[in-house]
Amino acid sequence: MSTETETPAPEQPESAETTEPRPNFMRLFGRYLIEANSVMVTIYSLVMAFFIGAVLLIVSDEGVRSTWTYFFARPQDALSASWNLVYDSYLALFQGAILNLNTLEAFRAGDVEFGNLLRPLSETLLNATPLIFTGLAVGLAFRAGLFNIGAQGQMIFGMLGALVIGFTLNLPAAIHLPLAVIAGAVAGGIFGAVPGVLKATTGAHEVISSIMLNNIAALFLVWAIGSQFLHSETKSELVTKPVNETATLPTLLSSFNPSLRVNLALLLGVAAAVFVWWLLSKSTFGFRIRAVGFNEHASATAGMRIGATYTTTMAAAGALAGLAGAALSLGVGASGITTNTALEYGFDGITVALLGRAKPGGIVAAAILFGALKAGSLSAQPAVPVDISILLQAIIVLFIAAPALVKAILHLRAPRGGLVTLEAKGW
Amino acid sequence: MASDTMTAPPLVDETKPVRHLLAGVVFLVLAVAVRAAVSLVGIGESATVAFDRTLTDFSWTLPSDPVVAFLNLVVVGLAIWMIVGLPQRWFKIATAAAVTAVVLSLLIWNYSQPGTVFRAESILAGALFLSMPYLFGAFSGVVCERSGVINIGIEGQFLMGAFTGVLVANITGNVYAGMVGAMLAGSLSTMLLALLATKYQVNQVVVGVILNLLALGFTSFMYDQLKKAEGLNSAYSVKTITWGPLTDIPILGPVLFQQKVFVYVGIAMVAVVWFLLYRTRWGLRTRAVGEHPAAADSMGVNVNRLRFWNVTVAGLLSGFGGAWFTIANSLAFGKNMTAGLGFVALAVMIVGRWNPLGVLAGALIFGFTTQVARDLDAAGASIVPGEFLQMLPYAVTLVVVAGLIGRAKAPAADGVPYNPGDK
Repeated sequence: MSTETETPAPEQPESAETTEPRPNFMRLFGRYLIEANSVMVTIYSLVMAFFIGAVLLIVSDEGVRSTWTYFFARPQDALSASWNLVYDSYLALFQGAILNLNTLEAFRAGDVEFGNLLRPLSETLLNATPLIFTGLAVGLAFRAGLFNIGAQGQMIFGMLGALVIGFTLNLPAAIHLPLAVIAGAVAGGIFGAVPGVLKATTGAHEVISSIMLNNIAALFLVWAIGSQFLHSETKSELVTKPVNETATLPTLLSSFNPSLRVNLALLLGVAAAVFVWWLLSKSTFGFRIRAVGFNEHASATAGMRIGATYTTTMAAAGALAGLAGAALSLGVGASGITTNTALEYGFDGITVALLGRAKPGGIVAAAILFGALKAGSLSAQPAVPVDISILLQAIIVLFIAAPALVKAILHLRAPRGGLVTLEAKGW
Repeated sequence: MASDTMTAPPLVDETKPVRHLLAGVVFLVLAVAVRAAVSLVGIGESATVAFDRTLTDFSWTLPSDPVVAFLNLVVVGLAIWMIVGLPQRWFKIATAAAVTAVVLSLLIWNYSQPGTVFRAESILAGALFLSMPYLFGAFSGVVCERSGVINIGIEGQFLMGAFTGVLVANITGNVYAGMVGAMLAGSLSTMLLALLATKYQVNQVVVGVILNLLALGFTSFMYDQLKKAEGLNSAYSVKTITWGPLTDIPILGPVLFQQKVFVYVGIAMVAVVWFLLYRTRWGLRTRAVGEHPAAADSMGVNVNRLRFWNVTVAGLLSGFGGAWFTIANSLAFGKNMTAGLGFVALAVMIVGRWNPLGVLAGALIFGFTTQVARDLDAAGASIVPGEFLQMLPYAVTLVVVAGLIGRAKAPAADGVPYNPGDK
């Protein structure tokens, strides 16, 4: 992103000062570290978020809190209890997301095979997959100046669309699977286009209409799962019929170990990110999106049809979120989806897009980071509250969205190109 | 999108016929859908309205089938009028009438089922009670947006208020201390918004969404942590206040004089916020800062300081609205218990056109819809599945924001950070 800044510019006017030594790599690197550029703001945001998370863990834990009441008598008690709590909690997240040290021991001793070691990573990537899609759905709309917080609803409809095609048809896998995936994209796209159409024709703000559609979709999902058409024939609880074998996404690593659930959708997600990159930077449609996002009035003056751009962008974003739904209902939810399958992947897409600064590459990286948080928190519960992942995500993106705040808290220097911040827009 | 619209060309095609045509088609579809549903499922003989709390032996029955058919015709007529073209000044009235007719026909249809009675007093009293979170949330939004800061984080303030209200009530053992705690927690959340919006000039919609997420993460996290300790999340409740003989007046008594303190505060706030906004120096300055901050600045108003304090104080209102979820309903805190109502409150603010009286009307409409949906769902007599009934407030918001209001006129500088340096 900013490797260029590391190459020193030899003829700098301020180096004329005789006392200051010639800028070498280490000096420039040191200066880079204390500057509020986008890379360092991201790193500091992560560090501060984990710090605040640690403080909250300590404050909210009754056992540790009680050791603080006699801090002045025996400070080492409070300090060690706090340290242990934070260390254990974050270690549990790490073990659930990246590498389980106990499994590593067992593997060294020859008790388990290599595949078991990959399990946390597989779960991380599995959780990252829908986040890549929803992150792209939010990020793409962002570039057109639209705030698509409807990814959750679009994903739910994508989930249902893929599910319906997945269990009703009997086709060879080579046709069935792509068809089911496309059905998810289409269902999400149609649902996503609604706020775009409403904004283009009536001026209704997409944030409000998307929120309403999210709530409607969530309720619709509850009803649909219980409906005769979708409800499982064998189970009594709220779960749908399974999709056919031919429409199930093949797993990538199950040859190592059948418990590794990461599937083909991950590769689809990366492909989608590449496609969005191409769309935004190489295509006419992408140019229009960016132009409208940059200055809608100028674009209108230049003869672009703003309303049509809103509609198509929202439809494309909805299709991306719909793919997230397809990834869920043909992947982890292939044996039947519940009201819980969708989790909050759609809402998390907002934080992913913000952390990734609405760029496809950044979104993939952010999705993997938040996928790791999610996988870690899911495996570390109930010792660590599962919502620590939402909490940490929110704090991280709060700082990312407000680089000036990070700069002020840490007394960073202003970067040469100015702070990278999101453009402010009214209703 | 706000301050520079005077010179710019129109962004979207807003020519009236398109909107009228769209609305007409929507209502036509709705009318056909209602007709189809009624003839498919069938309709009972008659619907009964009862005064269930005061005049218990009095009730009123109306023939359901002809009335629903008539209302249906009215909707079709209005829809056709919209499609063939009607004068602009009639459009809103026609839309309101069509919405009312659709809702009424659905109501009569549902209450025509044998065994269901429209218990007018209970339902209206419940509707007023249920409109309170919308009212407080929307007032918080009004105060913020009138001063030029978008507060999309009402949902988060609700959650903070709901959580802190119960927590403080449990710690102190005093439910009123809990309410104060809820207000302060809401205010803490908006203070962060105010700081980021004024001092750091961050995109307010983005910050609002992040603050919602932060509140959701924080309260859910704390909920799990505090669950380990005993007695920090027990339900607290407030008594219903009755006004002696006034409670025996039909309709008015149960609705107005037999409510919890939240309702009385809410009604008082309508007058207070209206008076403050339109009749005081502070209100004039606030509105000026929201419409044209540069002009206010040149008259000596410190724009960003006023915005900061207005937004911070507005959090007291939405925090109190948060306490409604737990304390007014005698419930313990639950994860994400506000269920998106903070966003509906935002819609109420827009429906009410950033005006306290409009907000009251909007909140009542939403409270009524929610109450009817709950009543039918609880009676188990609903023809429509419960999930669809619960969709009603959201669907109504969508229809109203898109159809009735269209491009509502927000305060001109709403969401635009003010930087005194670059006028």
